[in-house]
Amino acid sequence: MSARLSFVANSDRVELEIDPSARLIDVLREALGLVGTKEGCGNGECGACTVLVDGKPVNSCLMLALDVEGREVTTIEGLGGGQGKLSIVQQAFVDRGGIQCGFCSPGMIMSTTALLRAHPSPTDGEIEAALVGNLCRCTGYKQIVESVKAAAATLRAQRGDSHV
Amino acid sequence: MVNTLEELPSRPRCAAPPQHERGQRAKSFEYHRPASLNQALELLGGGTARLLAGGTDVLVRLRDGRLRPAALVSLSHIRELSHIELGAPIRIGAMARIAEVLENQALCQLLPALAEAAQTLGGAQVRNLATIGGNICNASPCADTAPPLLIQEARVRIVSTSGSREVPLDDFFVAPGQTRLAPGEVLTEVMVDRPAAGTRSTFIKKGRVRMDIAIASIAASVVLDGGRCVRARLAAGSLGPRPMRLRAVEAAILGRVLDGSTLAAARSAAEGEVTPITDLRGTADYRRHLAGALVVRALMRLNDWRGP
Repeated sequence: MSARLSFVANSDRVELEIDPSARLIDVLREALGLVGTKEGCGNGECGACTVLVDGKPVNSCLMLALDVEGREVTTIEGLGGGQGKLSIVQQAFVDRGGIQCGFCSPGMIMSTTALLRAHPSPTDGEIEAALVGNLCRCTGYKQIVESVKAAAATLRAQRGDSHV
Repeated sequence: MVNTLEELPSRPRCAAPPQHERGQRAKSFEYHRPASLNQALELLGGGTARLLAGGTDVLVRLRDGRLRPAALVSLSHIRELSHIELGAPIRIGAMARIAEVLENQALCQLLPALAEAAQTLGGAQVRNLATIGGNICNASPCADTAPPLLIQEARVRIVSTSGSREVPLDDFFVAPGQTRLAPGEVLTEVMVDRPAAGTRSTFIKKGRVRMDIAIASIAASVVLDGGRCVRARLAAGSLGPRPMRLRAVEAAILGRVLDGSTLAAARSAAEGEVTPITDLRGTADYRRHLAGALVVRALMRLNDWRGP
C-alpha cells in the first residue's frame, strides 16, 4: 500500500509516496535523510525523536507520517543558519557540556527551542517540566539545565535581532 | 529482615508488555484522513476500521503487533472535534489535545482537578499529541483525565450515522480497554456541568517518576458549608478494572466535618471499595494502602483549600 504525503520539512515543501504505516520518524530519517532525529525507545518515553510540528514539540515515533499532511515539521537540521552554523541553543549545549554521548541531544535541543520561544526566561521548574519527556543517561541533567539557562541568557541579551 | 524478590508473597502476575525489536515495522493498513465528522462516520461504516486520535497509544500497539487494523481513520484533520466551549455545560471536543486543555486558563480555573491531571499526563511531547477523547476511549484503568471527569459527572456524546446519544462517563467504561462504543460510533465530545459555587476539587497521582503512568490516582471534589461536607464526589484511577467513582467514600464523609475521625472513616471506606491488581508497577496491597492514603491527602488538601 502507498499513499501521497505533502508537508513542509525545515522550510522545504516535500511530496512523497509512502507506506501508510510509516511513522514521522521513519519518513524523516529514511525518505528525507534527516538522521539528526534519533530513535531511542520507540514508545514515546525517551524524547530522543522530538521534532516540532507547527512549532510544538512532539515524539516523532508516536505520529503516523500521514498525520503531518499540510503541516510544518522542524528537525534539528532546521535550527541553525545552514552551512553548519549552529543555533543559539545548539551552541549553548556545546559550550556548557550539555552533550556527552549526544544521542539525546537533538531531542533535548528541540524541546529547549520550543520552551525558549514560549518562555524566554524560564524558571528552574519550567525547565524541568519542559524536559521531563527527554531522558539523558550520561549527564545527570545538570549541564543540560545550565545549557538551557545559558541559551536563555544569550537570547535575552540579543533580543530583537535574533531568533531561537 | 530484608525479603529477597523470591520471598515476596505475591509476585507480579501481569506479563511484561511485548517488546519490539529495533526496526520492527507495523503491518501495513489503509489510511483515511477525513476532513469532517460526517466523512469519518461514512468511512467507519459498521466495519473494522479503527479510529486514530492522538496516536500516543495506538502507534506503540501498531508497532509491537498488538494492533493489526485493516484500516485506520485518522481524526486529526477534523476541526469540528477540537472545540473547548465554556458554556453550560462545558464542552470539550474529543480531539482537543491535552496541551490545549492546559493552555485554556479559564477551563483550568473551572476544573482544577482536570488541570492537575493534564499536567501529569506524559511529557510535553505526549501532551501535544494526546487527546481527551483518546484518553477516554483507550479505557485504561489509569487514564489520567478519567477520575477528574468522573467527579464532575461528565457525559460523553457518541455519534454514528444513525444518530447521537449521551452516555454518563461512569457507564462508558466497561473493562480495561473496553467501552460502550459500538462499531461505527465516534465519541465526539465530553460535557460537564459548571461546578456549583464553592466547589473545591483536586487530583493526586502516585507514579514512580513525574511523567509516569499512575500506580494510583484520586480525584476529589467537595462543597463545604460551615466546614461540613454537603456534597462529595471522589473517583480513582489504577485501583480497579476501570476508572471508578468511590461512592462508599462519598457516603462516609457526606454531612460531616472533615476531621480526624471522618478522615479515618474515608480511609477505610476507600481501602474497602477499591479492587486493585498486582502488576509490574505495584502490588494490590500497596495500591489499597495508596487508595486510603491519597483519599485522606486529597480531603485534607480540600479542607485547607485556598483556590485552584
